Amino acid sequence: MSGFTSAYLSTRLSIFSNRLIDFDFLTKLFDLDLEQILTHIATLTGHHYSLDSKDSSSIENQLANNAFNDFQLLIRPFSGRERRFFFYAIRWFELVNLKVLIRGKFSNTEIYIIRQQLIDLGDFAELPLKKLLDTEDTHEMLRLLETTAYAGIVRQARQVYEEHGNDLFLLDATIDRSFFIHLKQRLQALDNQDITQVSQVMGVLLDRFNLLWLLRYRFSYHLSPAKSYYLLTASGRTLHSANLMRLAKMDSVDEVLSALPESLQKKLSGLNTICEIETALEYSTLAIASKALSKTNLVSRFFAYIILREAETKFLQALIKGKQLKFDDELIRQAVVGFK
Amino acid sequence: MLSIPVEMKKISLSMMDEDAQCAALTLARMTILHPVEDTSNEQLLPEFPATPYFDVYQSLASRFTKISDLASEKFTQPDDLTQLVTLEQLQEMDGQLKVLWSLVSVVEEKKRQQHEKMQVTRQLVKSLQKFDALDLDLSRLTRTSRFLNIMVGTVPSANFSRLEKALSLAEFMIRSFYTGEGVQHVVMIGSSQQQTDVHELLKSADFRELVIPEELSGNPAQLRLDLNNQLEESKNEIIKLDKKLSDLLLDISPALQKTNELLILAKPYASLATVLKGHGGLVFMQGWVPADGEQEIKKQLHNNLQFPFHIQLTNPQNKELESVPSLLRHSWIFKPFQSLVSNFGIPNYAEVDPTVLFSFSYILMFGMMFGDIGHGAVIASGSLLLWKRFPSVTIIGVLAGLSSIGFGFVYGSLFGYEHIITPLWMSPMHDPVQVLLLALVWGAFFLLVSNLLAIRNYLVVGLTQQALYSGKGVAGLLFYLAALYSGYQLMANDHFGLFETLCLLIPMAVIMRYQWLQSRAGLFEKTLVVLIEMLEQVISSVSGTLSFLRVAAFSLNHIALAAAVFSIAAMMGPTGHWITILLGNIFIIVLEGAIVAIQCLRLEYYEGFSRFFSGKGKAFEPLKL
Repeated sequence: MSGFTSAYLSTRLSIFSNRLIDFDFLTKLFDLDLEQILTHIATLTGHHYSLDSKDSSSIENQLANNAFNDFQLLIRPFSGRERRFFFYAIRWFELVNLKVLIRGKFSNTEIYIIRQQLIDLGDFAELPLKKLLDTEDTHEMLRLLETTAYAGIVRQARQVYEEHGNDLFLLDATIDRSFFIHLKQRLQALDNQDITQVSQVMGVLLDRFNLLWLLRYRFSYHLSPAKSYYLLTASGRTLHSANLMRLAKMDSVDEVLSALPESLQKKLSGLNTICEIETALEYSTLAIASKALSKTNLVSRFFAYIILREAETKFLQALIKGKQLKFDDELIRQAVVGFK
Repeated sequence: MLSIPVEMKKISLSMMDEDAQCAALTLARMTILHPVEDTSNEQLLPEFPATPYFDVYQSLASRFTKISDLASEKFTQPDDLTQLVTLEQLQEMDGQLKVLWSLVSVVEEKKRQQHEKMQVTRQLVKSLQKFDALDLDLSRLTRTSRFLNIMVGTVPSANFSRLEKALSLAEFMIRSFYTGEGVQHVVMIGSSQQQTDVHELLKSADFRELVIPEELSGNPAQLRLDLNNQLEESKNEIIKLDKKLSDLLLDISPALQKTNELLILAKPYASLATVLKGHGGLVFMQGWVPADGEQEIKKQLHNNLQFPFHIQLTNPQNKELESVPSLLRHSWIFKPFQSLVSNFGIPNYAEVDPTVLFSFSYILMFGMMFGDIGHGAVIASGSLLLWKRFPSVTIIGVLAGLSSIGFGFVYGSLFGYEHIITPLWMSPMHDPVQVLLLALVWGAFFLLVSNLLAIRNYLVVGLTQQALYSGKGVAGLLFYLAALYSGYQLMANDHFGLFETLCLLIPMAVIMRYQWLQSRAGLFEKTLVVLIEMLEQVISSVSGTLSFLRVAAFSLNHIALAAAVFSIAAMMGPTGHWITILLGNIFIIVLEGAIVAIQCLRLEYYEGFSRFFSGKGKAFEPLKL
């Protein structure tokens, strides 16, 4: 990348990063009404959103579309391996659609309900949503999905479906696991310097996934240590393969927590439930991504920006939808508990 | 030469609910209505009466597409295009297709399973081949004893490393003995006590075991034969399933034809689902129609609708101009050029449609840049061969070829030879400076016309200030004329005096003042914006004009390329000479021809269209069957 392009991208990233809403401020939005929230968002981000009384998913789509537009601007200066890496990373958003579709079909949900939950990804979309919605049963949908870019992920989803029936949590985990493995493979293709920098952020994401699912597999699903370990994704920053194998053999949550590497143990000390651990790990991931935003490596900054923007979008979507559907403030707070 | 999109009128049609479908079908047959959603009377007309119809139509259309994609049959249009399709008819057919699709889907799923089974069996055959050379009792390899469990099979390569570590947690050992396409052929050994845990794990890792029946143990050849038989069985099963599917599709062909007819007739009303609004049996819709179709619409609706209706056609108001669709009507010869214009954008309703102007200037420039009687004749005759498959390419190719022939006579060039025909004017190589100057004059003329068109477009939509004072308006035009005049004075007479300076500064000041008033930024930013905008105006005027030098450059380049071919040919013997001439001319026609075609397009788009043509119009998309 030329010096001019780097300067341009760096400036763009700084501008977009400054528009990210501070998480402490985000939590203050709970107490406001919908109109006030939208006014605040417009002031802070420069994006104006309009409510559509007929379509409750409209705001969600507007939020996602704005994020995609910004990603598109940032991705443009990249080429080759970096570009492929980011395009894949942004597919994270499409996994939401994939999960909604699979869950919806597995549980025989009405099509209009599934459609309401889907996000319009514009140019980033790979899934033929209309065709998928028109499928009549799970097998037909899986056959169609196997012709898309998600064939690898879907084959594993089919396996889970055939093995565990409609276990939706396991399906989510299978999809995420496969995504992270492929993302890490794409990361390995980057320059060494980029790999080192991006790994700092991605490693935390992977640690979060691995630890949470290890606990769930072992103590909620009661799977064997061998299978629990196998179902985890690529190694992260602190929890390497050997750590994970050791942890998989333990017999209680407390035992696992006390055997964690020191840095993780500090963050999770005093926590008892998997939900609490999830919240703490999510917050820690965002804190590390925020730090990465101020570093010099552009690939790592952009990757951190994607994580933070995704979190912000998810938060605002949950908050606005909750307010639109007139849910209790406490319920909305619980829905976005990861940001507490 | 200049045209604007076809004059439109806004149609508002109120009618009884019972007549809505008939009205939709009538208007669709006429392909005359561009429907639009009306959001102004949501309170008065809260119902969308066509929505239930649309939902069933969508479901039926989706099922029909899925099934008909598998059938190779072509379905025909209905004979009677006036027949109305009821909601009940659609629902009944949708129900039938649901059952039919479930039958088709079962066969498709069975096919998928057979394909997967074949893939696994092929991998196992490969595994088995590795044991061929060994004198080994195979049953010992896959035997579960009291203490020991041994398994042989395949696992996807991507899963191998993780599986190896996971198995170690269950005190199992795995070794790969062969790597195939994306799979590892493995042997595993471990304690029988852990068998259940490991079995679950292996399923997750997509492990496929090589099962050796007791009776085949110790006989690898027989086992391989058995696996090959399984493969053969799967192939036969797939053939049977294909046959079953084609028989099924043949059986349901009449139903599919009927569905196709229903869908064609139901489409117009279903398409109006978001446009038709109603309340208490009365429905209302709006749209745009070509003004010259007004009487015919009224006549057709009077003839076809059963109940009284109210129709109103009005001219578009100024505030509506941006939303009026543009219908471009051109004769067959301009149609291919219309597609090239549409590639850039659709003209706004009030904008000049540049198709005809574009056609003439494009063909003219192609001839100027690629003037050769022989090459033009090859392009024209070659294009004629494409008439059946690509008629648009043929029209453009023939016209470009004819233009090339015309300029070939002007330049006196035949397949690059310049001494065979006496030029009507001269060969560009004889006086390149004069050719370059002429190209500049052509460029200046082109830009002036573009500027005039921009002014006209601003005035039509009421942007008078922009038409007068902006860089693309009268002030910009005067600035450009002043720049041309001053440039001429400086070059021809070596003179640049007060008059020339004032000629340039006055329009510049007008443009800058206009920019200043338009800008909403702070003082510093405003100053910066105005200066940069003015700088851009100066640069674009100069670069735009110089850009047309390529017209001359390519005409010179054409001759230079031909000269290069002749020089190489001169170094060859008689046979080599003519082969070189032939290949050289093909090279010139294909490569230079393509480059010139692209360069002409570039000049049109970037030096012409970008100055006067927004291309932000909406295409007229009529309701049709």
